[in-house]
Amino acid sequence: MSNAALPNGEALGLEVPLGSIERSLQQIWADDQAKTRSSLINFAIYSEEAGDLGRHCADLEAITAQHSCRALLVVNLAAETAPARAWISAHCRPYQEGKVVCSEQISFVLQGADAAQVQNVVFGHLDSDLPLMVWWQGSLKRCFEERLYSRIHTLIVDSSRWSDPAAQLQRLLGAWRSADFDVRDLSWTRSHLLRTALAVAFQDGKALEHLHELQHIEIVHGQGHRSAALLLAAWLGWRLKGGKPQPAAAAPQDGDASLQWISPQGGTVTVAIKAAAPAADQAAHSCALLSLELSGGGMSVRIWRQSCSSFIHIRVCAGEHQHEEVMPADSVSDAGLVGAQLERAGGSTHFREVLALLPHWLEATGSH
Amino acid sequence: MAELENPFEENLLNRNRAEPCTVVIFGATGDLTNRKLIPALYNVAACGDLPPQFKVVGFARRDKSDEVFRAELEEGNRRNSRQGHDEELWSSFAQNIHYHRSEFEDPAGYVRLKQLLDRFDRERGAPANRLFYLASAPEAFVPILDMLRASGLNHAPQGRWARVVCEKPFGKDLITARALNDTVAATFAERDTYRIDHYLGKETAQNIMVLRFANALFEPNWNSRYIDNVQITCAENLGMEGGRGGYYDTAGALRDMVQNHLFQLLSLVAMEPPTDLSADSVRDEKVKVIRALRPLIGPEAVAANVVRAQYAAGSVDGVARVGYRQEDRVNPQSMTEAYVALRLFIDTWRWQGVPFYIRVGKRLPKKATEISVHFKKPPQVPFATRRLLGNSSENTLVIRIQPDEGIAMRILCKQPGQALNMQQVKMDFRYSSSFGTASPEAYERLLLDAMAGDATLFARCDEVENAWRFIDEIQRAWHYSDKPPPMCEYPAGSWGPREADELLRQDGHQWRLL
Ligand SMILES: NC(=O)c1ccc[n+]([C@@H]2O[C@H](COP(=O)([O-])OP(=O)(O)OC[C@H]3O[C@@H](n4cnc5c(N)ncnc54)[C@H](OP(=O)(O)O)[C@@H]3O)[C@@H](O)[C@H]2O)c1
Repeated sequence: MSNAALPNGEALGLEVPLGSIERSLQQIWADDQAKTRSSLINFAIYSEEAGDLGRHCADLEAITAQHSCRALLVVNLAAETAPARAWISAHCRPYQEGKVVCSEQISFVLQGADAAQVQNVVFGHLDSDLPLMVWWQGSLKRCFEERLYSRIHTLIVDSSRWSDPAAQLQRLLGAWRSADFDVRDLSWTRSHLLRTALAVAFQDGKALEHLHELQHIEIVHGQGHRSAALLLAAWLGWRLKGGKPQPAAAAPQDGDASLQWISPQGGTVTVAIKAAAPAADQAAHSCALLSLELSGGGMSVRIWRQSCSSFIHIRVCAGEHQHEEVMPADSVSDAGLVGAQLERAGGSTHFREVLALLPHWLEATGSH
Repeated sequence: MAELENPFEENLLNRNRAEPCTVVIFGATGDLTNRKLIPALYNVAACGDLPPQFKVVGFARRDKSDEVFRAELEEGNRRNSRQGHDEELWSSFAQNIHYHRSEFEDPAGYVRLKQLLDRFDRERGAPANRLFYLASAPEAFVPILDMLRASGLNHAPQGRWARVVCEKPFGKDLITARALNDTVAATFAERDTYRIDHYLGKETAQNIMVLRFANALFEPNWNSRYIDNVQITCAENLGMEGGRGGYYDTAGALRDMVQNHLFQLLSLVAMEPPTDLSADSVRDEKVKVIRALRPLIGPEAVAANVVRAQYAAGSVDGVARVGYRQEDRVNPQSMTEAYVALRLFIDTWRWQGVPFYIRVGKRLPKKATEISVHFKKPPQVPFATRRLLGNSSENTLVIRIQPDEGIAMRILCKQPGQALNMQQVKMDFRYSSSFGTASPEAYERLLLDAMAGDATLFARCDEVENAWRFIDEIQRAWHYSDKPPPMCEYPAGSWGPREADELLRQDGHQWRLL
């Protein structure tokens, strides 16, 4: 393979023949008594793009700093078929008295491999008995096939990076129904602590009393994070027992979506989904969700993240009564979000419900 | 009116959700509040687990403003917070901390406290739940409870709760514990009473139930057919530094550690599986263990099963140390034990004939708390004549509570080579090497649970009283009998007195080497 296709090849560590990966890994541990190998999970990044090797390695380094695993990086390029290549390395963090704890990384670069070849090369190098979590980069394209995903315990996707969200969603839902794996979408994870903040806001009895007066919801998202806003809107609609979403009577402004549903009380709740103004503070755009506001009658609950800081601010107004709170916010880095997923055992039942509802929302926003 | 349901609750974090409340800390300028309680609450906030409109009121007698109080706590938080100190989070957290100056026994102070809490309720627009945390010296518990009752602060407004958290020690014998329980019961319902035992907030203590009941490898073997003996060790290399001799000399190892922390660990190791994970189901099973402890009545029974000791001069980590009676604030004629070892039997079907050995002491070679479960040996007939490298051929499961929390298992393997020799090998799981993220401090978990109404990790009144009943018999034999069992001695820096080794040798056992 040319160096152009592998710009950061050296970041992958030591190149080894495919047939001697395990032996070479053992050598790492045999040579250095101060290193301890640790592994609780097989964690793989799978990508069909060449350019991001450096970023993937940095992500794996960040993840292994918190979660011991066998890390696998699989880059499968749509080039002419060529023999697979492999590299090994270790990510270490200090532990006790000069010792370090390390996670192994095996990186594969495949060319023109189909799902069967990916399975053959990669699955032969898993740490036995440990679950396999795969972080699939970008769209679910070429190799997203039954023989591959049926071996996965948890699949992490990022719907904000999908080129055709409606088609991708159908593909994902189809796979999910046929195989028994857990799915996490980073776009959903990006609203995790915002949803927690909303639950905290409505722990306030006064706000809760006024919730039935809700008329309007506004969600502002950072550039490229419409999917996080849509997932959040779908969740709100489901939790509030809203009817099927419809395009709102008023036409949306450019790039915005405006929807409405009928509440159980028979009122109309409008939902405006807006991208932050391009002129807005540059930092704001690294954040998926900038604000959420629920208002109507005597109530307004606003949750926002100032300049994408590490904190969420909550302001609750219910009649005369008002207060503000501060809570931690979700990580803005993808690796941080994946780390947060690894800390939370088990899938989210709410996400399953929301994913099934999402096609209606894509339809109502004209994204199908 | 039916309680409205918050539609946005989704058990997002898979853990207890604290309910909106005001926490009133009695003794709020003390060491515990500064080092543990406020950093724990701050870290609960840093994890996003504090409820909205949360407030802390610190109650103590010295005169100071909210600002001075907050500045002192900020200083403590910078030093002691597990996740560091963030200015933005601290300033939001600290603006909800207030100081209330009053003597514990001054009724007017409670009238003013009530006015303060009512003012907060008015600002909130609704009455709040109240959590009263007794972080004072134990002698003040009863007066504070009396005052809370007299002022009506123990009664929560309609639809709200008022709870009390009691620090250790909970009494110093059965009589005082009962008297305290009576005062508590006259003031708060048992379901609103949370007796702290911070050992229960530790990650590995909580892991004992998972390890036992969720693993097919252990669950069927956890009984007298397969287990030979169980050892619980709580070793301290410290002595009486920092003036702790004053309190310690009035308590001793048995009352300070065994009655509460070590009996809690013993209960978790020996209990039957609870029918569910509710607080009362778990505690029902735990208290049965304490009730089933074979009583040690009379000086002979105590002498045969319990060894008490004080350390003599010696050295720890190469530093010369004085003996217990020469320590600061310790009575030179003291008859308080700095070390105790016990052999206990639990008279249940599951544990018939299995000795449980407990040892706890100061100025031992290192700091370590752990439980080791020693399995019976298989017949090993084919291997009987084979050589063994190691001091024992039994399988051992070790649960390390602190430091370096984890689980280790010792098994026998064939040594590589032409001969069939055996060697012990250790399989070791360490929380810190497997998980990069640090576990929450015990107080974080316990405060969160108290605010959420989950009493599973707190001691119930019958647990406390049954534990004291057992301990009192030993104290009686030591201090009120004609022929009291001897006070043994060990050099500081050793693993305890020879008599404690003898206690196990009589049964053909030995203490695990730590
Ligand atoms: N410290 C620990 O690490 C630790 C660990 C486990 C359990 N505990 C338990 O926690 C409790 C508190 O321990 P601590 O070390 O924090 O005690 P401490 O440092 O001695 O603090 C005592 C507190 O009580 C206040 N106080 C004393 N008499 C008072 C009175 N008459 N009226 C009003 N306030 C009064 C003091 O206020 P002023 O400053 O205004 O005098 C101070 O805030 C004890 O029950 C102890 O056994 C402590």
